[in-house]
Amino acid sequence: MAKISFHHSDGNVDVLDVDPGTSLMRAAVTNGVDGIVGECGGQAMCATCHVYVRPEYLDGLPDIGDDEEEMLECTAGPRDETRSRLGCQITVGDGLEQIEVDVPDDQI
Amino acid sequence: MTAAATDARPVPTADWVTIPDLYRNPYPIYQKLRAESPVHWVPAVNRYMVTSYQACHVIEQDQERFSADETNSLMKRAMGHSMLRKDDPEHDVDRKSYGNVLRPKAIKEHWNAIFQANSDKYLAQLKAAGPGSDFIWDYAAPYAAENLRLIMGFHNASQEDMQRWSQTMIDGTGNYADDPEVWAKSEQSYNEVDDAIDEILPYLRKNPDASLLSGMTSMPIPLEAIRANMKMTIGGGLNEPRDVLGTTVWALLDNPDQLAQVLADETLYARAFEESVRWVAPIGMYPRETTADTVLEGVQLPAGARLGIVVGAANRDPAVFEDPESFNINREKKPHLAFGGGNHFCAGAWVARASVAQIAMPQVFRELPNLRLDPDNTPVDAGWVFRGMTKMPVLWG
Ligand code: HEM
Ligand code: FES
Repeated sequence: MAKISFHHSDGNVDVLDVDPGTSLMRAAVTNGVDGIVGECGGQAMCATCHVYVRPEYLDGLPDIGDDEEEMLECTAGPRDETRSRLGCQITVGDGLEQIEVDVPDDQI
Repeated sequence: MTAAATDARPVPTADWVTIPDLYRNPYPIYQKLRAESPVHWVPAVNRYMVTSYQACHVIEQDQERFSADETNSLMKRAMGHSMLRKDDPEHDVDRKSYGNVLRPKAIKEHWNAIFQANSDKYLAQLKAAGPGSDFIWDYAAPYAAENLRLIMGFHNASQEDMQRWSQTMIDGTGNYADDPEVWAKSEQSYNEVDDAIDEILPYLRKNPDASLLSGMTSMPIPLEAIRANMKMTIGGGLNEPRDVLGTTVWALLDNPDQLAQVLADETLYARAFEESVRWVAPIGMYPRETTADTVLEGVQLPAGARLGIVVGAANRDPAVFEDPESFNINREKKPHLAFGGGNHFCAGAWVARASVAQIAMPQVFRELPNLRLDPDNTPVDAGWVFRGMTKMPVLWG
């Protein structure tokens, strides 16, 4: 199992233990985490799964692909040049056993 | 039987629902249905109608239990077997063949200039026709049709062809009465589209551009799939932007306070667009089919049940939206289901937003000062599977 923590701006944290291979978006939607919508089901098409990755986990992430880069320009919340990612493009497991992210206030 | 199935409630029947009532105004019917149960068997529609937000949302996210590949689908007969009626992984292959054509970067680089030119052209025609002309048929429809024609790459067709193809094949998709005349027109369009594709592909191979069909020439995708996907996109990419444009203008003219707000701040057209598709979803219902006996939001459904996912009702669910029946661009932002969700999430959502909210709406209100409805010629809103303005004469100046 891998561990994902979603930090909300009101201080609440959702901590999930999920199977390796699960995306942050899928984990959030399946477990009803507030503030992650994931309209397009993970096709990097809707920009409603935006998260800010906490700095200490940035090194373990795959590079930002072209589709993800394009969508990060379309997020409702402001983009952070280093921390903004799409939750659907990051899967846990395989070297990323734990990750903590901040959930933006706006997703749509 | 599983424990869940034993506990599940049976599906109520709503034999009082009629198609003409739905066509005129489905919303009071949806209110009544939703208050009673998230799902009903509706004999007049010959489907289980799913009307609660939560139930529609669950279905969109679960293609294992709720398949898009419907048995005896009229859409397959009218348009061929497109991505919209496939599940993954087959669906994904077709969807990938659309490449980046409908995505924000291509819209910025190629399509916005074309949308602007088309809006200039049809707005000039509307002005020439003068006050009293019809906003839908003299502007919104040709604008949406010409945009789609160029996005798709039909350089050998006219926007009028696009409108005829779209409407006749949509009518085929909804031809539950099996009217032979409807089938004849639908089949004629089917053949015309196939011929147009056969003719244009060799041209686009030599003269590539940013269009969908041009992209197809270098994709490993069978001609059968190209043909079906193009027909579905003609049916799904024209009437909807036309209708959201009409509905949004109508709603703003009917709500002067909100109109004043967007006139003072043009970035609010984006809010008005999203609120409009929530309030009146241009595609009000789309089908799915259960793959096994299952329980949906506490209601028992048999295997092979034909479902109607009524996003037009889900978008007005009071469990999610406060005062859901009113148009209010200032409401608390919540995700609506007008573009569907999950793997079939509308591929044209960014195109619709750019062409309608970014280009058409601001220009219309800028160039038609004091735009208003014609008090002597009332507009008509109609439909339920597809809903929009069927007539909207306007005055200005
Ligand atoms: C406001 C305008 C629009 C609305 C409300 C809308 C709505 C929808 C909905 C609800 C679906 C999913 C249906 C289902 O799951 O069965 C869909 C799919 C689709 N739409 Fe749109 N649409 C709009 C504009 C467009 C435009 C302009 C295009 C093309 C340029 C387009 C192309 C498509 C395609 C290709 C699909 C199929 C996606 C798939 O199966 O993966 N749509 N649309
Ligand atoms: S779920 Fe749509 S972009 Fe991530």
